[in-house]
Amino acid sequence: MKKLYVLYDSECELCRRSRLWLDRQPAYVRLAFLPFQSPEAECRFPGLRELRPEKEIVVISDAGAVWQGGAAWVMCLWALREYREWSLRLAHPALLSLARRLCEVVSANRYKISHWLKKAANHEELRRKLDLFPAARCEEGGHCRTY
Amino acid sequence: MNYIVATYALYLAISVALTIWVARTLHKNGRLFLVDAFHGNEALADSINHLLVVGFYLMNIGYVSLALKYGDKAADLAGLLEALSTKVGAVLLILGGMHFFNLYVFSKMRRRALLQGAPPPLPPQAYTPVVE
Repeated sequence: MKKLYVLYDSECELCRRSRLWLDRQPAYVRLAFLPFQSPEAECRFPGLRELRPEKEIVVISDAGAVWQGGAAWVMCLWALREYREWSLRLAHPALLSLARRLCEVVSANRYKISHWLKKAANHEELRRKLDLFPAARCEEGGHCRTY
Repeated sequence: MNYIVATYALYLAISVALTIWVARTLHKNGRLFLVDAFHGNEALADSINHLLVVGFYLMNIGYVSLALKYGDKAADLAGLLEALSTKVGAVLLILGGMHFFNLYVFSKMRRRALLQGAPPPLPPQAYTPVVE
């Protein structure tokens, strides 16, 4: 296996951030990211719709092997240098069912989580913008001059 | 005085001999393990093996020389044997500790090397056609 295609939801902030994080990690197997909504994904995987990629993350190998949900995450970790050991641990049946459940819950609520993430990002941006303006200085007459 | 000097001489001889024996054993039997840990790169494994043995000699002989003057001073033959036994026992424990530490480091390296070739942990759930 030389390449793993990760089909993610580009309309969800959580998924976009996860993609960026995965992309930054050193990997044994190259990860290629495709938004499942993109025409390229449809073109490369004609049977993609039947897999219902909008439900949970889908990972497809260059040979066409498919993993979805918790198993897809285990495969993503397996591709990474620093997390392969964790993926082997997570693949144990006891932990895997837990991982599956967690992924189901996160996927079902991903837009809600993304909303919070966006809000946090907006606050941070606003704070940085406000820092650019100097604080209002008080004049001798007792009133404050605003910029 | 004679007993003390005899303790020191015996202690040095036994400790250094033990250190050499352990180092040789490690050097001989650790090689295969290291070759496996370094993905079959024999030149690198030999180099690391040699460097490890040098470090091992330095640490152990250093400890043996530093610890020479500590412990009970023997006044008779029984005292000599006791002091000698205590000192050599300490050296053996340190050698054992170093040995297990080395094994731990090697096995960690080996596990990492094995991880690289590990097959996917989960079987595919389905197959789909791929257009290249």
